[in-house]
Amino acid sequence: MQPFALNYARPAVELAVATPYAYDSGLQLNVLGDGRIAARDHALLREVGTTTSTAGSKTHFDD
Amino acid sequence: MTVLILTCEEDVTADMAVVHLNGSGVPVVRLDPADLTGGVSLSGEFVHGRFRGHLSVGGRLVSIGGLRSVWVRRPGVPAGRAPQPSAWLTEEASQALYGMLRGCDARWMNHPDAARRARHKPWQLRLAQRCGLPVPATVITSFPRAAREFAERFPDLVVKPVSGAHPQDPPRAVPTSRVAPDTDFSAVAYGPTLLQRRVAKRADIRLTVVGERLLAARKATAPDADPREVDVRFAAPGPPWEPVEVPARTADAVRTYMRRAELAYGAFDFAEDADGTWWFLECNQSGQFGFVEVETEQPIARSIAEWLSRPIPDEPAELNGASSTVR
Repeated sequence: MQPFALNYARPAVELAVATPYAYDSGLQLNVLGDGRIAARDHALLREVGTTTSTAGSKTHFDD
Repeated sequence: MTVLILTCEEDVTADMAVVHLNGSGVPVVRLDPADLTGGVSLSGEFVHGRFRGHLSVGGRLVSIGGLRSVWVRRPGVPAGRAPQPSAWLTEEASQALYGMLRGCDARWMNHPDAARRARHKPWQLRLAQRCGLPVPATVITSFPRAAREFAERFPDLVVKPVSGAHPQDPPRAVPTSRVAPDTDFSAVAYGPTLLQRRVAKRADIRLTVVGERLLAARKATAPDADPREVDVRFAAPGPPWEPVEVPARTADAVRTYMRRAELAYGAFDFAEDADGTWWFLECNQSGQFGFVEVETEQPIARSIAEWLSRPIPDEPAELNGASSTVR
């Protein structure tokens, strides 16, 4: 009784690594431990993958 | 005047635009509707023929009448993190917040009405056809026989969710997947199924549209790519995303699509075939752009910040604020 498309489903992969930044409500930005703004560090964003399309997201389905 | 950004705290992609807004001195208030009744408060009065409304978050107070634009980026479910969340409270919070915001003259990226409509993939496919974009042959059906007949006409098929949503109980992902020619289609009866002719692609294209600006990136298909993997989100990393020019005919069609959809922002996915044709797959009205910008250094976040910074037009749209304000 399973819909056809679900024959092709696979387990969702949650982001396993903890993000090395935290939200600063004063700045309204996420900042790194040393106070730098995370969004300015493109190499880091590439590494952690948090800006990547998130197929399977619980909250956002159109990426 | 202030730019209001509705998104979650961990949205570092939104940060990329906030940095530019800060750099140009444009006031920003950022909040997550999920924090309503917690860290976010609202108030609005309709008295003596006038409306005065305010939003408050983290010690910031902004007048709704003082908003120049609203960026609906990655908002949580209204009141989703309230001490005692409920479907009723979510509806109350949603009606209060979005109801008041709908009444202001701010420009939207994207307006909730346009966004809701634009999420429907069948609607996207039809609009793309009408705008002159090539669309791979597609069927959406709950008739197993229709699926079988479609497979006879187009033996090389993929299947993908109609909605783009993924099941959560338990959490699973449903990537675009190839369908073998001898597949049993009887389970099509248990849910509407989207089958589409597979485009033998030599590259994926992500075209990000911000107002009138088009920023396209291309990711070539690796020569040794697994032919069973057709969904770039699930495939091995392969070659990087690189900036690419948009063919003039495609650019015209995409601008028409954006105008008819009343969208200020859209992320189009195309499959480029061996002839160089860009086949329309979908347009995500809230699609990610961070992964493209960090690889290509294309100024997407800056373009968004510039769009959000523009002043309110003299004559705002009557219906949903989008039709006259997407440029």
